[in-house]
Amino acid sequence: MPALFKLHRLKLIGLLVAANIALLLHLAAGDPLPPTQWSWMDIAGEGGSALLVLVWIGLLLRGRPAGQVTTLLFLGLSCLFFSLWIDTLDEVIELPVGTRWDKWLESGPMPVGFVLMTLGIYHWHREQLAISAQMEKRERLFREYTLFDSLTPLCGADYLRLQLQQALQQARAEQQPLSLAIVDLDGFAALNRTFGHGEGDRVLQTVSQLLLLNLRRQDLLCRLAGDRFVVLLPQTGERQAREIAHELGAAVAALAYRSAEHGERVPLSASVAAVMAMQDDPDSLLERLNLALARAKQPLRAQRA
Amino acid sequence: MTAGWYEGDTRFIPGHYQPGVLIDLALGRGLDSHRVLRGTGLFHDDFPSGTVRLSPQQFLQLIANAWPLLGRDETAFLYGQRLLPGHYGAASQALAQAAHLQEALEVLVEQQALLSPLLKPRVQMDEGQVQLAWLDACGCGEVQRFVLEASMAAVASACHWLAGERLPWRFEFRHARPRHIEQYWAHLSDALRFDCPRDRMLLPREWLHRPWPKGSATAARVARQEARRQLDTLGMEASLLGRLHDHLEALIREPLNLERVAAAFGLSPATLKRRLQKHGTHFQALLDQARLQVALDLYESRGYTNDEVAAYLRFNDTTNFRRSFKRWAGASPSALRHVLGLVS
Repeated sequence: MPALFKLHRLKLIGLLVAANIALLLHLAAGDPLPPTQWSWMDIAGEGGSALLVLVWIGLLLRGRPAGQVTTLLFLGLSCLFFSLWIDTLDEVIELPVGTRWDKWLESGPMPVGFVLMTLGIYHWHREQLAISAQMEKRERLFREYTLFDSLTPLCGADYLRLQLQQALQQARAEQQPLSLAIVDLDGFAALNRTFGHGEGDRVLQTVSQLLLLNLRRQDLLCRLAGDRFVVLLPQTGERQAREIAHELGAAVAALAYRSAEHGERVPLSASVAAVMAMQDDPDSLLERLNLALARAKQPLRAQRA
Repeated sequence: MTAGWYEGDTRFIPGHYQPGVLIDLALGRGLDSHRVLRGTGLFHDDFPSGTVRLSPQQFLQLIANAWPLLGRDETAFLYGQRLLPGHYGAASQALAQAAHLQEALEVLVEQQALLSPLLKPRVQMDEGQVQLAWLDACGCGEVQRFVLEASMAAVASACHWLAGERLPWRFEFRHARPRHIEQYWAHLSDALRFDCPRDRMLLPREWLHRPWPKGSATAARVARQEARRQLDTLGMEASLLGRLHDHLEALIREPLNLERVAAAFGLSPATLKRRLQKHGTHFQALLDQARLQVALDLYESRGYTNDEVAAYLRFNDTTNFRRSFKRWAGASPSALRHVLGLVS
């Protein structure tokens, strides 16, 4: 994300200028030690730590939008880096005996940095809670970024399997029913061909938002594959699951989706099905769900043929 | 027979054909073109000119780059659905105007170099069904699964589009049931079988001649002639491996060895051996593959017994044949016939 990096250019320049001024101050006041007197162990330890902190700063700035949390974390890490940098300079530049300011430069920023980092992490924690609230119905108590779907703001099939594994155990332990509903868009391939794949992607994104609106707080929506969405419905029996599935189908059919290019109405409809977990593992349950969907689609195919 | 085929390093695949489809998919998902083209020696800025030509090896490298970046599970299917009929000149037009499935399959086989340069489609028909098997044309190596998933999705999706309805293809794969089975459900069909002796798609024969609404007989004929002329200009219509496969299958009942086949292709045995090595294969593997295809067809279409197949393939005794068959297919004939539902 080079764009994010650009946002933080001033911050980085400031840090580099400060580090440079410290270097120049040292060179002006003291004399470089000959390499024979260098303590390589200390240089590697202190210089290496400084470098690692610099890497943290880079990752932080690359990955985060600007804002209070980013600024606090950046300032904290910068103080840490500065302290370690001065520490490293001490190893290669000898200052006249009795110099005190370098000790201040070395030890001063460290506690300030830790305080700033603590503040930053506290607000980061608050931010995470806020984001988690926004992720409601899209993740449940477990986050794994590698399982995020690349297209829609949902998780994919692997995350669903993981969640399903846990939910099945929990349902069994609590003797509560657990159901799955599946929503499959009709004629999605033709839509892609007619309106372009970009439009198809937008339809999937829109439909995923629409489905989220129609779910309860405890439900989890994932994109299984292609134009198939699966909802995990805890504490839900088969009848209720079927009701929810039909409501989701009705919501898709009622959506007045308009294409991005010309704004014409793209009619959408979906086939839905639901199954309740019996003595299933995640794979067999998903397989039964898929069969139920195939049965639900049969009349549709017969009608078209 | 001196030329007329392409090899792994023949630069003939137009950059804006299949590679362009994959690059567009990657760019559409926000990927950097440099990362996708790394190691191919190509630059994205050259593509719009329409003069860039890739060798199968470069194309395979492109796939190997893009596959993990785009996600290993779904990408092949998304890419495959965009492949056919495609925008590959007259070959694509001939496909888009096909009057029915049989004509479309004929075009696919005839224009394989342009429509499916990496996998060779092999079509067989008997009284009951049509089968479209896919054979490695260029040594696809580690991206074989990607290319296979994409090719099957391409044909299934194009048939769906051109026929105006979903054709009830059944799918068989040599690989084991994958973890991401849901992609196969959503993009191919529920009728899937794994651990099979070949990678193929099957359809009841009655679908062969159902008229396709988008078809146009005259336009299709003209486009097909034009496409043939284009192939002639290109000077190659199949890969070396594909050509060899056809040659071996045609002469499967004759005594076959490296020397004779090399001579038929106008090459020295050493040269042929080296070229096969370049594609990650060897003569015996190709011969085994051809024999396996023929043997399976005999079992399935003609209901031959082990003795009959062994005799057809000029094996002296059935035990010997069964041992060889197990080496080609990874399972004994009886086990395979059980899998195929041909138990007598």
